[in-house]
Amino acid sequence: MLLEVRDLHVEFRTRDGVARAVNGVSYGVDAGETLAVLGESGSGKSVTAQAIMGILDSPPGRITGGEILFQGRDLLRLKEEERRRIRGAEMAMIFQDALSALNPVLPVGDQLGEMFVVHRGMSRKDARAKAVELMDRVRIPGAAARVRDYPHQFSGGMRQRIMIAMALALEPALIIADEPTTALDVTVQAQVMDLLAELQRELTMGLVLITHDLGVVADVADRIAVMYAGRIVESAPVHDLYKAPAHPYTRGLLDSIPRLDHKGRELYAIKGLPPSLMHIPAGCAFHPRCTAARDLCRTDVPPLHEVTGERGSACHFWRECLDG
Amino acid sequence: MGPYVVRRLLQMVPVFAGATLLIFLMVNVMGDPVAGLCGERQCDPATAARLKQEFGLDQPVWQQYLTYMGNVFTGDFGTAFNGQKVTELMATSFPVTLRLTIVAILFEIAIGVTLGVAMGLRRGRPVDTGVLLVTLVVISVPTFVTGLLLQLLLGVEWGWIKPSVSWQAGFDELIVPGLVLASVSLAYVTRLTRTSIAENARADYVRTAVAKGLPRHRVIVRHLLRNSLIPVVTFIGADVGFLMGGAIVTERIFNIHGVGYQLYQGILRQSTQTVVGFVTVLVLVFLVANLLVDLLYAVLDPRIRYA
Amino acid sequence: MPEPQPLEPSSYVPGGTAELVPADAEILRTGPGGRGPRGPDTTAAPSVAAEERVRSLWSDAWHDLRRNPVFLVSALVILFLVLIALWPQLIAPGNPLDCDLAKAQQGPGPGHPFGFNGQGCDVYTRTVHGARTSVTVGVCATLGVAVLGSVLGGLAGFFGGVGDAILSRVTDVFFAIPVVLGGLVLLSVVTSSTVWPVIGFMVLLGWPQISRIARGSVITARQNDYVQAARALGASPMRILLRHIAPNAIAPVIVVATIALGTYIALEATLSYLGVGLKPPSVSWGIDISAASPYIRNAPHALLWPSGALAVTVLAFIMLGDAVRDALDPRLR
Repeated sequence: MLLEVRDLHVEFRTRDGVARAVNGVSYGVDAGETLAVLGESGSGKSVTAQAIMGILDSPPGRITGGEILFQGRDLLRLKEEERRRIRGAEMAMIFQDALSALNPVLPVGDQLGEMFVVHRGMSRKDARAKAVELMDRVRIPGAAARVRDYPHQFSGGMRQRIMIAMALALEPALIIADEPTTALDVTVQAQVMDLLAELQRELTMGLVLITHDLGVVADVADRIAVMYAGRIVESAPVHDLYKAPAHPYTRGLLDSIPRLDHKGRELYAIKGLPPSLMHIPAGCAFHPRCTAARDLCRTDVPPLHEVTGERGSACHFWRECLDG
Repeated sequence: MGPYVVRRLLQMVPVFAGATLLIFLMVNVMGDPVAGLCGERQCDPATAARLKQEFGLDQPVWQQYLTYMGNVFTGDFGTAFNGQKVTELMATSFPVTLRLTIVAILFEIAIGVTLGVAMGLRRGRPVDTGVLLVTLVVISVPTFVTGLLLQLLLGVEWGWIKPSVSWQAGFDELIVPGLVLASVSLAYVTRLTRTSIAENARADYVRTAVAKGLPRHRVIVRHLLRNSLIPVVTFIGADVGFLMGGAIVTERIFNIHGVGYQLYQGILRQSTQTVVGFVTVLVLVFLVANLLVDLLYAVLDPRIRYA
Repeated sequence: MPEPQPLEPSSYVPGGTAELVPADAEILRTGPGGRGPRGPDTTAAPSVAAEERVRSLWSDAWHDLRRNPVFLVSALVILFLVLIALWPQLIAPGNPLDCDLAKAQQGPGPGHPFGFNGQGCDVYTRTVHGARTSVTVGVCATLGVAVLGSVLGGLAGFFGGVGDAILSRVTDVFFAIPVVLGGLVLLSVVTSSTVWPVIGFMVLLGWPQISRIARGSVITARQNDYVQAARALGASPMRILLRHIAPNAIAPVIVVATIALGTYIALEATLSYLGVGLKPPSVSWGIDISAASPYIRNAPHALLWPSGALAVTVLAFIMLGDAVRDALDPRLR
């Protein structure tokens, strides 16, 4: 395994109380594999990613337990300086909103070249040549001329390409993409996603794709981990999960996708709201919104049951769910 | 940027005219414009009438204003109470106030910005809260009180400085007065820098810089500071105009013969020409400083394009 | 995240409250909802009624203020100041004009805890009685400035057009004139020893500051969805302004006005120190500080007590304003 997260716990201490953002998440990615992490906002998917990257805002965020194994080493035991050398060079992150994620007052070429200056000790001139090369690689037209432009001078799609170029600069083994296409126009989304998938194949990188868009997932992911209230509720190869979800929450998500063949019917929506991370319900966190909840669900936290060798479900009644 | 500068210069014209007219009217209300012209004594009625005619003071105010402005643009600021040309007074006093302002600005940069950056990076810690409180106290104590207290302590009690500045007013003599002049702005610069740093420290692009594996000092200097200091630099730039206009209190405390001193004398002796002349130049300095600040903004922040 | 709007360069407001202005103008845009850890998809319901938003903003702010020690301390100080401004005899029964040159520059003694000043007046009595002047000037000037400034600025911001353009230029004119200097020129002719010329001067030169803030926050509030909705429903402009915009736009004005109150008190003292503010026989800290400065070596107590009272008063108002701003602006937590 390239990356293995084991029983990770993260909490945020705020003025109003402790928010338990991540409560025992475990997942893994192999080289060349794409893991989609799916969930609503507040499910802990981004916080997990930040913990892996080591860019958690702390305070208030704090990792209270678990391990993050990357190429066999537990990142949480490394010194900050060792982690810094890994960041950007061996694992990189693509953020959702490239406009705010890029520095507004530096030319994009400087921001790309910086990777080579800092991690590879290149001269500024060589780094700039590398930056042009990278911009070509993510197919930005006229790269040589635009290397001195500022982020705001690019379109949304082009900016996201620059973000991707920056992540790929040092050919890392792992990429974490946090909603990489959410901020883009629908037409551009596919282009950017295809580019990312293509480069990932070329470089046989592991990719953790954080998203709430089931459509994106189906196209590019190998496996899916569904998160809810800081836990993984279902984990499965993508086709198995789409065929027959083993958790009521996953089923709800799938049912809420508008489908042409269901035209005219009322769209399904999961009732209720995601729980506050300060007051996660006892038992199964999903029980207040679950149509199949029983007494057991209100008292006992369901473990991740093994459904088959490669899939798991954190539902006491996953069998019934699987049968529909 | 060329057309923008032209547009801004054109915009400055009504503001300049308005501000000088306002001051002109105020000074006219102030009192007898010929009162100072006969030296220390009161003019006799015949002389007063002759002088009034000579200076066009029997004409309506708006006409006087136009005549005055016309003269100003040919470099003639009129005559002060003691027969000296107002321009001569300016030539001796503006360099002094400029030196004082430079000292003040240096303090703002050296102390205000440094402290602000340090506190912004330590946001929420006890030392940050403490410094914030101190800045509030400094803002609350009026400049003249700060000045008198420093003069009492450093000048009278401990004898570190001379309580009043000589007429040459060299940089060395202006250190403490410069600090006094800067004090309130200094506190503002500290707070502004701190807020700006603290806000930008949570910005996405800083997080990106960390995710790129940049060393902490590079994240701070190259990414955080570059963005955070834009409002600070512009504040300090605009402050040049404010400090020169506000130096009057500091100059009075330390007996510095600068712009404020001349203005104060001009007001005491009801010398309209001195007061209007000095204020006109101060307004001009203020407006030019603000224009330069806006242009500086565009240089520092590439997102701003003036057309 | 919206595209960054190229800042109109003249919107930069230099001056004493430059730090406050941008933050204040944004108070209501963030609202009390945007508090949690930052996230891309926190979509606040835009359909919430204006009244409800305002109420929760203020009740949230009040909730925070009650536990903020800075607020509590400054509010207590101000309460005390107002009390002694109204009834100075409560704690200082003496007459502040009762001076005896024979006692000039004497240090503290029984019944005279702060000693005597250069004219032989009791420093304690004069310091206590000085509060009335300061509070009167501060409160009246602030009220005048706030009313004039927010009406002019609010109308200009709401209706825009030629009136707005003219008002903007006029405020530019006022900003270009150094305040202390304006005070020296205008007040040097005044012979009245009442507080009214000083207050009048402050209103005359102070309103542009508030009008700029009010204009900015009205323009911000005007763009809110619920205002657009009210407009679409055919509400009259006056109704929109008074019922929907004013309650939301007033917060920054209140914050800036509170802080300005402190600075007006300081300004009065400064002008009095320069000899053009209040004149004897008025009792004012500025006058006393000015009178004490020649005797700084022999009778520092005559300088220190009124200076201290002045500093604490100004500090209390500025801290109050600061605390209120923090409470109204959840972004800066």
